[in-house]
Amino acid sequence: MNHLPIVPILLPLIAGSVLLLSTRWPATARHAFSLAAVVAQLAVAITLLVMVTDGPIRVYALGGWAPPFGIVLVVDRLAAALLVLTAIVACASLLYAVARDTEAAAPRFHALFQFQLLGIQGAFLTGDLFNLFVFFEVLLIASYALLLHGLAADRVRAALHVVVLNLIGSALFLLGVALIYGVAGTLNFADLARVIPALTSADAPLARIGALLLLVVFALKSALLPLGFWLPRAYGAAAAAVAALFAVLTKVGVYAVLRVYPLAFGPQAGELANVAEPWLLPLALATLAFGALGVLAARSLRLAAGWVVLYSVGSLLVAVALFSADGYAAAIYYTVHSTLASAALFLVVDLVAADRTTAGDRLDAADAMPHGALLGSFFFFTAVAVAGVPPLSGFVGKVLILDAAGAHPAAALIWSSLLGAALVVIVAFARAGSAVFWRTVPAPAGAPPPPRPSLAALAAPAAILGCVAALVIWGGSATAFAQAAARDLDNPAGYIEAVLGGDHAQPDDRRRLR
Amino acid sequence: MLLSIVILIPLLGAWLPTALSRALGVDPARTAAALAATSLALILSQAPDVLAGATLVSGWSWIPTAGLNATFRLDGFGLLFALLILGIGLLVILYARYYLSPEESKERFYGLLLLFMGAMLGVVLAENLLLLVTFWELTSLSSFLLIGFWRHDADARRGARLALMVTGAGGLALLAGVLLIGHVVGSFELSRVLAAGPVIKAHPLYETMLVLVLLGAFTKSAQFPFHFWLPHAMAAPTPVSAYLHSATMVKAGIFLLGRLFPAFAGTETWFYIVSGVGLTTQLFAAYVALFRHDLKGLLAYSTVSHLGLITLLFGFGTPAGAVAAVFHTINHAVFKASLFMAAGIVDHETGTRDMRRLSGLARFMPWTAALATIAAGAMAGVPLLNGFLSKEMFFAETLQVQWLGSRYWVLPLAATLASVFTVAYSTRFVHDVFFGPPPQGLARVPHEPPRWMKVPVEILVGLCLLVGLLPALIVDPLLRAAGGAVLQGPLPEYSLALWHGFNLPVLMSGVALTGGAIIYFARRYYFGLHGYRQQRYDGRTLAEGLVALAVAGSRRLVDGVANASLQRYVLLLLLATLGVGLVGARGLSLAPIAALTPPDALAVALTAALAIAAIAATALHTQRLLALVLIGVVGLVVSLVFVRFSAPDLALTQLLVEIVTVLLLLLALYFMPAESPRESSRFRRVRDTMVAVAVGLGAGLLAWALLTRPFSTIAWYYLEHAKPQGGGYNVVNVILVDFRGFDTLGEITVLGIAAVAILALLQELRLVAPQRDWDGRPWAVERHPLMLRVLARPLLPLALLVSVYLFLRGHNAPGGGFIAGLVTGTAILLQYVAYGSDWARERLPWNYSTAIALGLLLATATGLASWAFGAPFLTSTFGYLHWPVVGEFELASAMVFDLGIYVVVVGVVMVIVGRLGALSGSGGRGT
Amino acid sequence: MLNHAIDIAFGLLGLAVVFTLIRLALGPDMLDRVLALDTLYVNSAAMLVLYGLELGTGRYYEAALLIAMLGFVTTVVLSKYITRGDVIE
Repeated sequence: MNHLPIVPILLPLIAGSVLLLSTRWPATARHAFSLAAVVAQLAVAITLLVMVTDGPIRVYALGGWAPPFGIVLVVDRLAAALLVLTAIVACASLLYAVARDTEAAAPRFHALFQFQLLGIQGAFLTGDLFNLFVFFEVLLIASYALLLHGLAADRVRAALHVVVLNLIGSALFLLGVALIYGVAGTLNFADLARVIPALTSADAPLARIGALLLLVVFALKSALLPLGFWLPRAYGAAAAAVAALFAVLTKVGVYAVLRVYPLAFGPQAGELANVAEPWLLPLALATLAFGALGVLAARSLRLAAGWVVLYSVGSLLVAVALFSADGYAAAIYYTVHSTLASAALFLVVDLVAADRTTAGDRLDAADAMPHGALLGSFFFFTAVAVAGVPPLSGFVGKVLILDAAGAHPAAALIWSSLLGAALVVIVAFARAGSAVFWRTVPAPAGAPPPPRPSLAALAAPAAILGCVAALVIWGGSATAFAQAAARDLDNPAGYIEAVLGGDHAQPDDRRRLR
Repeated sequence: MLLSIVILIPLLGAWLPTALSRALGVDPARTAAALAATSLALILSQAPDVLAGATLVSGWSWIPTAGLNATFRLDGFGLLFALLILGIGLLVILYARYYLSPEESKERFYGLLLLFMGAMLGVVLAENLLLLVTFWELTSLSSFLLIGFWRHDADARRGARLALMVTGAGGLALLAGVLLIGHVVGSFELSRVLAAGPVIKAHPLYETMLVLVLLGAFTKSAQFPFHFWLPHAMAAPTPVSAYLHSATMVKAGIFLLGRLFPAFAGTETWFYIVSGVGLTTQLFAAYVALFRHDLKGLLAYSTVSHLGLITLLFGFGTPAGAVAAVFHTINHAVFKASLFMAAGIVDHETGTRDMRRLSGLARFMPWTAALATIAAGAMAGVPLLNGFLSKEMFFAETLQVQWLGSRYWVLPLAATLASVFTVAYSTRFVHDVFFGPPPQGLARVPHEPPRWMKVPVEILVGLCLLVGLLPALIVDPLLRAAGGAVLQGPLPEYSLALWHGFNLPVLMSGVALTGGAIIYFARRYYFGLHGYRQQRYDGRTLAEGLVALAVAGSRRLVDGVANASLQRYVLLLLLATLGVGLVGARGLSLAPIAALTPPDALAVALTAALAIAAIAATALHTQRLLALVLIGVVGLVVSLVFVRFSAPDLALTQLLVEIVTVLLLLLALYFMPAESPRESSRFRRVRDTMVAVAVGLGAGLLAWALLTRPFSTIAWYYLEHAKPQGGGYNVVNVILVDFRGFDTLGEITVLGIAAVAILALLQELRLVAPQRDWDGRPWAVERHPLMLRVLARPLLPLALLVSVYLFLRGHNAPGGGFIAGLVTGTAILLQYVAYGSDWARERLPWNYSTAIALGLLLATATGLASWAFGAPFLTSTFGYLHWPVVGEFELASAMVFDLGIYVVVVGVVMVIVGRLGALSGSGGRGT
Repeated sequence: MLNHAIDIAFGLLGLAVVFTLIRLALGPDMLDRVLALDTLYVNSAAMLVLYGLELGTGRYYEAALLIAMLGFVTTVVLSKYITRGDVIE
């Protein structure tokens, strides 16, 4: 029995629980334990990735109950890649948090951080709709607590927005799950993929409403417009390490779309075929455009970074909305890229803000930064990555999306939106960078210069940027992997077979209850 | 492989000047020069083959999915540009060593210069078009950083942003064009693309591709109407202007025209767009250049004009035109770089570049004056210099163009006119600066620059002369190779002789030289050239205005839409829900399909009470306490409904959750005003009510639709297997702790996190307690009434007993860890109420969050235990035990899991009660 | 016989519930409402017992017991709130 698929859930659960007990530990022990936990998660995630890259999809039936009756965890290429991504970002953000000692403000930070990872990784692994809801709850409540961490007024307000909106989202999620279970009689993704196409025309509308309600929830999570306006301020207000981790959070919504719709509501789904398609593309384009304008409009670097998240989610969902293998491949590659880039941006912006004594992260003229050259090069690389300018992975991702959209009927619109938005972001970053790093005034006399950022604090964004570079240098393997993962999505038979086929019980003797 | 090394040496070596300077104190200029020289040597090693006509293509597959391959190509055209980039690059490195003042960061300068050099080499040596675009954008980025090198100068910052914006936009257009080419040709490799000319030209997307590619080329090469960024890029240090903004980077657009010449050129569209833009640019910029007072401004517009000339030549679409274009590209790079360096020397020595202040410098720096004069002569097209030859070819070509039919005379006339202006501004450059009376009011007395600062200029001017005198010997092999590479076919007949006899081009040259001289002197003396005031508006004003407008507009939009109003966001969410609901409901029938249970009196009464209480709670929400009481009623009725429909587990859970919620809300209510103010306008209240009613109605209808049809689910499995495999008669409980125990584990984690979140939120919070109640009465005196204390104490053991009972039987009858935990929690809460926080803390002195952690660990450990038996996480087992007195007793591993739930639930209630109880702890009121 | 008694009792309890709800709605004081809520709990407990009697099962006694206990706690907490404001001091 190979238990590895559940380890990414158990590790943060146990580590988080133990860290709750750690109030009397010395701080260094707590740091070390927490860091060790995320490094272990990275190791496990990489092992899983290696396992599924060439091997079959791994299915783990919890409690030994055969699907669709019990809950299953499924590790396919997509899930494994996102696990590795999460672990990388988690390692970097935690390292940063420890290095900058933001933890001092809230002793339970480490436990919450682990619980946040629990929610994210659980959502990536689960093969069950209701279980997905549970992990959405975990990551919501943990993100709420992490966002509050530090208790600045803007954080409390942003956290309130997050929690209220997402609680409504949870209610909608439940409603959607109830509708789908009510007509399909099952919650297992693979089983849904088998049952949905066979729905009668009387049942189909209910399932359709359910599917669309889920889409609303996923859109809220991934900050698709018009439901994503809350995100920039919330992320901009969060502590840097938290915001960096949150860069993964929106991707959970995107992942859910990628997981559920091609599988259960794809072209083969009979009356419900492609139910999400007419909605996703226009809204994704709107998100892209609005996100880019938001970056341009931002008056501070943190807020700009928040809008960048919206911009990249827009680009990403454009690729998803193509609902083709090429589109999925582009989306997967771009997900990895944009998560890394946004995470790095949040960390770098925080370093920059700390180095400017008077202006912080505002785009105002201020005294020259003592470590401007160093932080300037960090900012430059990050901006290049974020804006999708060559030679970093954003460019490759953009090319993949443009390529995939080439055959779409709305190709001209998609291309001009993507390229236009990219230009707006380039201009915005050129403005921001020149305002922060170039437009300086003489420093006020007597003020002590801020200390040089510690090596560990620099190592965190540097490691992420290293991954961004690796994503280009080994771009051939990365895109080949994304394509393989995309083929799995486009052709769900393999997933269904892996979960339900073989020696698992057949649910065909579904019985009438009334 | 070799070609990639040529590119990577400067690109990856960009950090070396800094590193070596810091570590070993090596002069950064030496490091940069060494790197550039290495690359140059490597390229030269390949030159013989290429000059013999070979095309070297090498590389490897990189990101095949995207069509991006690391393939490189060295042919004559690429070789020509590589030599220009590296050769002039070396000279600029040498020149800049003396140009930059000691306090400026040479490390940064040379690092950026190397970065640019590598990127530019990449552009000209790429075989893959996407790779070309990659390097293309890199040149824009490095140019941005180099223009902004003097960061304290506002003009430099603005110029840098402007250049990035224009060339960046062009780069994106180019990317789109290249992607289309790849789509049409099926490959991004130049070898395939160049061979696919007929396919491309016949494709319906030809015009689109052409315009996109040309947008890239024209922005980069500063063609009208995108030329305006280049003069503002002159805020860069002069070596940068000489290198990037005259000799190399701005030639990238020209390079692209030449590179894609076989694929795109020769159609009517090509001719009209390319030569039209080229001609306009050439004429317009030559005219404007005359009126610049700044030396570099003049040279900038002159560069724009010459780039226009080259573009025009490519636009003809003829082989001979292309060869002439290539030739002029070489000549322009050589003479313009030397002119920029000369301008830099003047600036360096006098402290100004304003021609109105400069005069008669020849007497102070005769050698520099001589060099500049020769270079300016080349620019003007004076015979015996290189510029003359290419200009003659240009004139000859304008006479050959077929496209214009009877209006054939337009081109030669315009070309001559442009040349007249060229001669005029060249004359001005030389005459204003070096001749005439000695200058007045300069900060210092000018003199010749350091020896080595002049060497680069000397080399370049020497080349002007050599090419001008011995063209066939010096430049012909290279031109032949480059021309052949551009055309991808046989070269046309052309001659590089100095004298072709007395023909029309010679006449045109003569007109240009005389006319130019006349205009300059006439302007100078009769029209007051020096008094000309530059216009305040140009492309930058427009572009910056556009950006400012975009920023202001997006700020208005963003602030207006994303206004941080939770009400609005919720409204949007609900409207989205309604929208998808309405669309999704297409074809939904509400007629019941299944037989419905007839309603009885109790059900009707309960439903009515529920509805009334719920509506009342919503309507009266401003009176907080009353609303809370009503919520309590709702909870009670809901649990009664559950009882009525035989769901005792749910009923108990609902009841307890409801009560605990109400109690906890009461704790918080104390610190809030008794009534919340009405803040919304009437319109908003009506609107919100309508939305709320619609959403509620929708949810109700969905429930109705779902419940009035038969459905088939997997529930039978749970009913059948709960006892034989789960060991319990209470199916709900078996689902919770076994079938879907994993969900439960997640949900108790949520509870635990929520408690931790409350701890974090209320960490340092101390609230000021109100002194009087909502009616203004003082509070009662007695804190802990005797009756309450007496009653509360025995309740605790009783409740604990009930908890144990509910817990143990949970697997088979209503109960379980969750319910038991809530009962215990409620009883402990009562102790807190009756005796106060201090009293209870004294008796329960633990850290309550420990309980949460331990409960979670216990539940997890139960799951892990199954690993020991080789079963998946959370696999359960059960057995029967015969206890004395009690009798047969079932033990299931799921019960340990349930115990974990119990501990977590108790812990959560305790954490919240303890925390909220401490809120008014120290800073509170007196008794 | 018992059935009739149960029916009558149900009717009376229903009447009591209606009255308590009216009192809850009318007030006039918060004290009246708290008392009404308490009575509502008592009536619910009684109804549950009756329901158990009707169905001939003991299962609902426990629920009634819990409702009684929770009703008590609710009333106590509300009273504490009204007299002292701070529920836990």
